[in-house]
Amino acid sequence: MDSSASTLEPLLAFLAYSSSKLESTFYKIPGSAVVARYVKSSHQNDPGRTILELILVIFAIRTLLQSRTRADRSGKNFIKFSEKEIDELVDEWTPEPLTQPLTEWDQRDLSSVPIISGPSGPKPKILATGKTVTNLASFNFAGLAGNEHIKERAVDTLRKYGLGSCGPPGFYGTIDVHLDLERDIAEFLGTEASILYSQGFSTISSVIPAFCKRGDIIVADRSVNFAIQKGIQISRSTVRWFDHNDLKSLEDALQSVDKERKKRKAPLTRRFIITEGIFERDGEMVDLPKLIELKFKYKYRLILDESISFGTVGRTGRGLTELYNVPASQIDMLVGSVANGLCSAGGFCAGSSIVVDHQRINAPSFVFSASMPALLATSASEAITHLRNTPSVLATLQENIRALRAVLEKTEGITLLGHRASPIVHFSLRSTSNTLVVPSSAPAFDAETEERVLQDIVDDALANGVLLTRAKHLKGQEMIESRPTIRIAVSAAFTKKEVEKAAAVVKASVGRVLSRRR
Amino acid sequence: MSRPTSIKLPPHLTLQPTHQSTDLKGRRRSGSIVKVEEVGGRVEEMLDRNAYANINANWVNAKGAWLIHVVLVFTGKIIIDTIPGMTQQISWTLVNLIYLALSYLMFHWVTGIPFDNELHGGAYDDLTLWEQIDDGAQYTPSKKWLFTAPILLFLASTHYTNYNPWLFAVNLTALICFAIIPKLPQLHRQRVRFLAQDASGMATPVTPSFSHSDKAGILDPSSITDAHFQ
Repeated sequence: MDSSASTLEPLLAFLAYSSSKLESTFYKIPGSAVVARYVKSSHQNDPGRTILELILVIFAIRTLLQSRTRADRSGKNFIKFSEKEIDELVDEWTPEPLTQPLTEWDQRDLSSVPIISGPSGPKPKILATGKTVTNLASFNFAGLAGNEHIKERAVDTLRKYGLGSCGPPGFYGTIDVHLDLERDIAEFLGTEASILYSQGFSTISSVIPAFCKRGDIIVADRSVNFAIQKGIQISRSTVRWFDHNDLKSLEDALQSVDKERKKRKAPLTRRFIITEGIFERDGEMVDLPKLIELKFKYKYRLILDESISFGTVGRTGRGLTELYNVPASQIDMLVGSVANGLCSAGGFCAGSSIVVDHQRINAPSFVFSASMPALLATSASEAITHLRNTPSVLATLQENIRALRAVLEKTEGITLLGHRASPIVHFSLRSTSNTLVVPSSAPAFDAETEERVLQDIVDDALANGVLLTRAKHLKGQEMIESRPTIRIAVSAAFTKKEVEKAAAVVKASVGRVLSRRR
Repeated sequence: MSRPTSIKLPPHLTLQPTHQSTDLKGRRRSGSIVKVEEVGGRVEEMLDRNAYANINANWVNAKGAWLIHVVLVFTGKIIIDTIPGMTQQISWTLVNLIYLALSYLMFHWVTGIPFDNELHGGAYDDLTLWEQIDDGAQYTPSKKWLFTAPILLFLASTHYTNYNPWLFAVNLTALICFAIIPKLPQLHRQRVRFLAQDASGMATPVTPSFSHSDKAGILDPSSITDAHFQ
């Protein structure tokens, strides 16, 4: 006891001495009396409050002393190097090749695309072998490719107008043939007006952002093509996806959007349904009357992408509206492809005159891209006249489709996708039998292996005189990874016999390749 | 400008009980009552914000904008003091609470921008003024001043009056709840949502018969960031 007290004593004495020294020095500082009086009167004999306030003060001082962080932009991730480090990195640097070397699969993919000598058509000649093959890969639905009459008219136009249109449509690029074609398309479809775009792929991805802005609501099908996905992404609208070609799911989505809006008491914004007439991914056809009924019931606008169905279905090729006998004025924005349906180039959007006029200023592709050459516009106009005058072309097309599907349905080992009237016929490999036992409802597929098998089928078919192609998609950039398929584009340029013969070749190729695999 | 539908709670009140709701079709996305989610962080929104300078948030950097706090508080105190029957405690409490309420409304409640909305294409619609200041950088001079001002007001008020414990507690809680917590950098662009159902519009209720292709890797187009192109 004594010893601990004796060791503590000098310590306590030292503390008392130092605190009194501190106090005297503190009072020597000018203004210290003010501070002392302030603190005393703030304290107000309540230590609890003083401690809380002290904590607040310390927190505030800590905040004031923090240094500034970087803004939300990408500069946040920059590393700051010193000069020496920069010099070292520069000395060590060796240039990388501009492109990575192709993998074996990429090389094979690239070399498997045949080169055709002469113009493309229903029966092109392969440059490498010199053989003529049946072209089931290019879009030539009404058989207009290489049509002599259209070629003559195109040459005449070329002589009259020259080739290029020298500018965007809004800036000296509109020629009278463009206006004629727009009028022709509008009359053909039965809408008030139409507007012409110079590239078929970018048409829909320009129409969507012209009307849908941030804060609007889009309800779109999950399997829409890449151009539509990009258009939706550019538009910055809120998107809801519904299951592929499932109108019940669409109705659920529309109802849930409505419910959400009521719950949040949000203001009414523009709402759109976006879907394709015939889906490019698998050839399914949408039920247009039911879709229109839903659209009117929930008060949405419909943007219908008829890239595949315009010029191919319906009695005279007017598309889904003719097939289902629905007036085209009920579809708000009817987008089609002049390149696919009329074998020319470009695309169009048909609708009311307000819809069309809005796009003349607000559609990015219309305002900033050059308009199409005059000869392509006259070819398209001629194609429309041809379709009007010879509707038997469409009947031939449908016959050919039926014939092709009849043969392919009997083929073992593949599943045919799509609607039976769709001019695009996709088939994919049938899942092998042992996956039927798998408990999950969706059998998994190995995309790479299936692609190789399909490529084998394509190569085999080419060796036997039929030009096929796989459906090509951008891996990792599309919204859904769909099963690899081979896409056949039926054409009215063939006779039924030729189609059956080609289908038989495909069937044989499939059989050969699949039996080799087994 | 649009009203957000969430209230910002102090973090210690966010519990995670399992709560089964029965009014939804399809699968319930989350089992908790309260959920904190980030807002406004998509690549395209950031790009749209950086296209032009945001004049709706730059004014807080002006000298007058700093001084106006002091001026308004003085004027407010004087006006409140003129009300008959006003004691110092109530007067200071009122000044405190009104200042906190108004600054919370201005900086942390209202989202979007009143001017130049066309230039930014709605990219600021989800951001409050606090999150827009200085492009989201933290601990900038304006933010430090706006952080310190309510604290100084509170300390001045406790110095000049002798609050009874209730009023002190009220003032302190209001200060922490409305001035300090929302300004913390950890809560930057976060929102606390009650009974959140379904993520912001990106998925529909799943119907029983979904197609096979859905199983194999669904990529949301809006989740494609710069990293995909590298």
